[in-house]
Parts: sequence; C-alpha cells; structure tokens
Amino acid sequence: MFISNIEDIPGKTITTCYGIVSGSTVRAKHVGRDIFAGIKNIFGGELKAYTELLGESRDEALSRMKSQAQQLGANAIVNVRFSTSSVAAGAAEIYVYGTAVTVE
Amino acid sequence: MKYQPSLPEHNDNVSHLHPVREFFTLMAGVLAFVLIGYWVLGLVVDVAVDYLSPEQEAQLHHTLDIDWDMGEEVKPDEQAKLQKLVDSLKPCLALPYPITVSLVKSDIVNAMAIPGGKMVVFSGLLDTVSSTNGLIFVLAHELGHFKNRDHLRLMGRGIVLTILAMLTLGGDSGFSDILASTINIRTAKYSQTRESQADQTALQALQCHFGHVGGATELFESLQSREKGVDLRLTHYFDSHPELQQRIDDLNRLSHELGYALQDTQELIEP
Amino acid sequence: MESLIIFFVLLSLGYVFGKMSENRHYRSIHAREQALVALPTTSSKKPIGNSAPIHHAELVYGHVVISVDYFKQILAGLRNLFGGTVQSYETLLDRARREAILRMKERCPTADQILNLRIETSSISKGDAGDQIGSIEVLAYGTAISFESSSQNHLE
Repeated sequence: MFISNIEDIPGKTITTCYGIVSGSTVRAKHVGRDIFAGIKNIFGGELKAYTELLGESRDEALSRMKSQAQQLGANAIVNVRFSTSSVAAGAAEIYVYGTAVTVE
Repeated sequence: MKYQPSLPEHNDNVSHLHPVREFFTLMAGVLAFVLIGYWVLGLVVDVAVDYLSPEQEAQLHHTLDIDWDMGEEVKPDEQAKLQKLVDSLKPCLALPYPITVSLVKSDIVNAMAIPGGKMVVFSGLLDTVSSTNGLIFVLAHELGHFKNRDHLRLMGRGIVLTILAMLTLGGDSGFSDILASTINIRTAKYSQTRESQADQTALQALQCHFGHVGGATELFESLQSREKGVDLRLTHYFDSHPELQQRIDDLNRLSHELGYALQDTQELIEP
Repeated sequence: MESLIIFFVLLSLGYVFGKMSENRHYRSIHAREQALVALPTTSSKKPIGNSAPIHHAELVYGHVVISVDYFKQILAGLRNLFGGTVQSYETLLDRARREAILRMKERCPTADQILNLRIETSSISKGDAGDQIGSIEVLAYGTAISFESSSQNHLE
C-alpha cells in the first residue's frame, strides 16, 4: 500500500478514486508514566515514554486506515493528514485521513 | 481517473470488546492493586513501629502532644484518685513516658487514650462500673493501647491510605466510593484486632495487679444489659471495636487458657 | 453506602441510554452514507477526473458536538490507570467524524465534488471539574465545486 501526503504517488498514475478513508485510535497513558512525567516536569527534556506511546498509536491508526482502504479495493492513499487531540483526561486521540485511490 | 463510490463493510476504527466486561475487568484490577498495596504497606508500618526503641517512641509522643479540649472537668480529688490508680499500674504496664489522666463530666461511658500520653476518662464510666477491678481493667485497656503503640500504627496506615488514594484516583470521584468502602472494611478489621490486643494486655495487667481477673468483663456485661432488644445492624464489619459478646467470650477464653482465677472484686469507693 | 448506590445507578443509566442513542445514531449514519456516497469527497486539491472549468466553488463545513456519557467517562478514568486503548471513546469519535462529514455533504447537495477536506477535533470540558472532558466537537470543511456544463456533471 502506497501512502503519500502529496497529490499523487510520484511515478504512477491514479486510475480510480474511492473517497476518504481514515483511521483513529484513542490511547491512555498509565499511572507509572504519569508519575514519571511529573518528575520530568522539573528537569525538562524529552518524555521518551510518551513519545513511544504516541508513536505506537500513530502506527495503529495508520494500519486501520490502510485496512479500510483495502476493503474499498484501493492500493494507495494520497493526501494523508494527521491530527492529534486530547479527548479525555490523560488520553490522546490520533486521527489520520486521506484519499484512497488505485494507482498503476 | 474515475470515481468509484463504495463504503467499507466493517468498521475498523472501533474495538469489539464488550464495554461492561471491560469495566468489570478494570475494576477488579484496581481493587486488587489497592488491597494488596494496603496489605503490604500495612505490614511495613507494623514492622517499623515494632522496631522503634522506647526512647524514640517517647520522643515521637512528645512531638505529637496535642492539646485536646474535651469539656468540663470535675472534682480535682477524683481526678487525683484516678491518676493514682493509673500510676499504680506502672509495675505491671511499663511505659517510657508519663501518662496524665483527665476526668471529664459527661454521660459517655468510655475512656480514651490520646497520642502524647494523655488519657481522658468520662464520668459516665465511673457511674457504670461498680468495682475497682472493673475500672482498673478499662484503664489498663487504654494503657494497653499506648504500650502496643496502636496510635502510631493507625496513623501510619492513614498515611499509607492517603498515598494510595492519591495514586489511584487522580480526580475522579465515581469509583472512589467503591474503593473507600473496601478500605474501610479492612481498616475496621485491623482496628478490631488492635482492640482485642489491648483487651489481652489489660487482662494480663489485671492478673499482675490483683492476682486474679475478677471484674474484667464487668463493663461489657453492664453495657450489654443496657442494649435492649435485638441488634439488627448489618454493619458490624465497619465497627472499630469488636462486638461486646465477642469481647466477653474472648476474655473468658483467654483467662481459661492462661489459668487466671476469678475472685471477688473490691468495691469502688467514692469520696 | 448511599453514594455507592447512586454511583451504580448513574453508571447503568449512562450505559443503557448511551448505548441506545449510539445504536440509533449509527443506523442514521449508515442510511445517510448510502444516500450520499455519490458525492465524491477527497483531501486532494485537484478535482478528480476532468479538467473542465469550474463555475462555482464555495467553502462548506459540517460540525457536531457529541457528549460523553457517565459510563464512558468512568471507563476512560479506569483505563487511565492501566494504559491501553480507550475503547469507550473510539465509537464516540467515529460517530462524530462521520456525522460531521455527512452534514458537510448535506450542505451542498448539488455540488459535483468536495475538495481539500480537513477535519478538526476539539474537546469541550466542563469548567469546574478541571480535567474532565464533557464533550467532543468535530468540524469537517472543504471546498465544494460545480463544473461548468451540465454534461460534465457525471464522471465516467
């Protein structure tokens, strides 16, 4: 499955378009990471645990989008966009959407 | 490029685990975590308190000296008498710091041990016990709390609970009630154990002081006869003290096991 | 003891009515999606298919605010302790997004295509309870275009 966030897949032509596909996950951190982050708040620096958590969430969201595109019969997704929002105390939602197409 | 209208057959963006099952699983997990944490930390508190030396304990009590205003005090000579009785128990129940007794005019039939080495006796107690032995038992029970360092244990557990609550709750008040009820049952059970321990210490002090344990169960029996009718409460689990009948039974059984004799009691002389 | 009973009552109310409302909403979404599937919507900037002149283009948007029920909130709070996917919120967000896109499409029933779709999600929280989230708002917007001549209206 080809994925790009420009108008097309370079070197290929788009033959069919299926419309919008999207994938989303909502992930919560757990208490241990919370306490650690609180401590890090004093010293500053990267919160590796959260980076990892949100990275996993994005992978999950992307794979959901790919499977939805596959259901429609597409083999590529163009014009992909990401969106992150905080929807509950301590939980973040990752949303990714794009246009499902068939390329040759 | 053409457009092919189509819709996906199944929705990948939602999970299919039933929410009610998820709720029970998570709730069970939280309760297990809190109960185990409380049990482990409670053990740590107990071990720590047992390791305190008497000097350290005396120092702690000094810092915990709180000025409690309990109410109107009565005749100083009655209070002095009580103080003498408590002091007379020193050979049988040694403590590394002095105990000061206050007598307070009240209908309450009770005595209290307060952190810092103060004991408060309510005048209702004096009206209810009929023998010196009975009174000594109650005083020895309170001294037993001091000896067993029960205040430190309960305070330590209180701190542990607060920390656990802060860790797990973080603002949500919904299921905090479930947690609170569970914890209260555990705390009450622990408190009941400590009360039984204090009863045992008092029984041994009574034997040491008088040479027999007549009058040990006097107060409980007297309170029992006051309770008219059947006790319909279902919430004995939440009580901080064991049931009266249980205390009487435990004391009788203990006297039997330790081979203590029951003899006549001395009458309580009022000035 | 009473507060425990109240808690369970609220929880059951939240679950039962929340589930009913969710099922009803999903049925409505499925029906409308079937009806509006003929209107192509993409996140691309270029129209699909032909390069016929566009005679009308306008910004269209659809938005919806959906509230969280008590059961979902408690479940999310429990999840917060252990980590993992907050499943109770997934259906909520899925419904809100699809609803917002449908409302956007319903805004321009005579358009030929909708281009450059973007979606914005935000949470609206109750003022007093600090970090408790009350509801989710989703906004979907894009540019609806109509082609010049009527013979170009249908894509082949």
